Amino acid sequence: MIANSPQRTRWISGLLLLTCLGVSLVCVVYPVYVIRPFRAQGAHELAVALVVSRLRPAVTVVSALVGMLALAIYWRVQPRWLRRILPAIGAVMILALAFLARVNIYELMFHPIERASFSPASQVKLDKNEKVIAVGIGDQARAYPIRSMSYHHLINDVVGELAILPTY
Amino acid sequence: MRLTFHLAGINNQNFIMRDEETGTYWQQITGLAISGPLKGTRLTLVPSDELNFATWKAEQPGGTVLNDIPKYAAEYSPENWDVRMSRAPVVISFREHGLKDRDLMLGIQAFGVSRAYLYAQVKKEKVVKDYMGGQAILLVVGPDEESVRAFRNRITGTNQASDFYRIVANAQGSLLMDAATGSEWNFQGCAILGTSKGQCLAQLPMLKDYWFDWRNYNPTTTIYGKK
Repeated sequence: MIANSPQRTRWISGLLLLTCLGVSLVCVVYPVYVIRPFRAQGAHELAVALVVSRLRPAVTVVSALVGMLALAIYWRVQPRWLRRILPAIGAVMILALAFLARVNIYELMFHPIERASFSPASQVKLDKNEKVIAVGIGDQARAYPIRSMSYHHLINDVVGELAILPTY
Repeated sequence: MRLTFHLAGINNQNFIMRDEETGTYWQQITGLAISGPLKGTRLTLVPSDELNFATWKAEQPGGTVLNDIPKYAAEYSPENWDVRMSRAPVVISFREHGLKDRDLMLGIQAFGVSRAYLYAQVKKEKVVKDYMGGQAILLVVGPDEESVRAFRNRITGTNQASDFYRIVANAQGSLLMDAATGSEWNFQGCAILGTSKGQCLAQLPMLKDYWFDWRNYNPTTTIYGKK
C-alpha cells in the first residue's frame, strides 16, 4: 500500500528535522568531547575537531534554518497537537545548539582580559618572590605576573608600537 | 595584519588559541597555526624572561606591571600553585632519562638542536657551561637563586668559550667573573667592570616547561647531564 502524501511528507520532514538535530549536536558536542582538559588528544581527532569548530557557526545556522522549515512543513501536515510537541522540542534544541556553537566555553572557564591596565613598578605591591614574565621592547619594560597569567592564559597587548601576545 | 587572540581549547595540556580575524587555531607553545586559513604560519617569538618580581624591578625600575582584574582576582592561582600543579595528572608521558613527567625543565632551541636542563640541577649548579650544536652556552642563576637566563658564551675579542664563575654579589650588581678577561658581569649578561665593560653576551631564548610538554614538542631533545 503506497503511503498517502501527507504521511510521506510527515516522514520526510520529521527525518529532516532529526538530521538537522543530529548535525547540530555533532557540531557542538564533538569538539567539546575531544578538546577537554585531562584527556589525551590524538592528532587526527584534534584536526577534525578544529575543522568542525571552525565550520560550526555557519553549519548550525543552516541547520537551524532547514530545521525550522522542516518543522513548518511537518506542522502543516500534522493536525494532532500532541504529535507536534516532540518535533517542536527538536526545533528548539536546534536553535539552542546554534547559539551554543558560538559560546567559547574555554573563556567561560578562564575569562579573557578585555581591558588591560598597567601600573608603574614602583607602585605595584607584589611579593618580591612573585614570578613574572618580563618583556623588554625598545626602551619599554613590562611584566606580567604569572599568578594572573596562569588564569587568563593570554593577553592581547601593545608595547611601544609592537603588538605582542604574552601567553602562559 | 594584527590578530586578536582568544583561548580556544587544549591539546595534550598545552593550550590552543584562535584569532578573531581569520578563525585560525594556533598552538601556544610553538606559536604555529595548526588549523584554518593561516595554517603553517608561525608567530614570531618575542624574547622574554621568567623572573622574580624583585629581580625584574631592580633591573627595570621604570617598567610597568599588568594589574589584576579585580572581578577575577579571587580565581587567580594561589601562592603554592606550582606545588599543586606538580602533582596534577598528565595525559601523555615520556618516562625517559629518569625524568618524571612534571619535572621542571629549562628548554633551549638553538644552533639547530634542542636541549633541556633540569631546573633543580641548574639552580644547584648556579652556572652551567655547556655546548649546543657546537656552540658554547651559559646558563646563569640570578641573585634571587631562582631566576635563570641563558647566553651564548662568546666574548667579543676571544676565540673560545670563557670560564665564568659565580662571585659574591656586590652593590654594582656583579654576579659573574670570566677567566678570559677578568671582567665582572651582571645577571643581564653585561660586563660592568673590567676590560669587557660595556659588552653584553647574546641572550638565548629559554622556556621553563614540564618535561612531558617539552619532550612532546622536542622529540629529539637531549638532556644536560644525561646521555
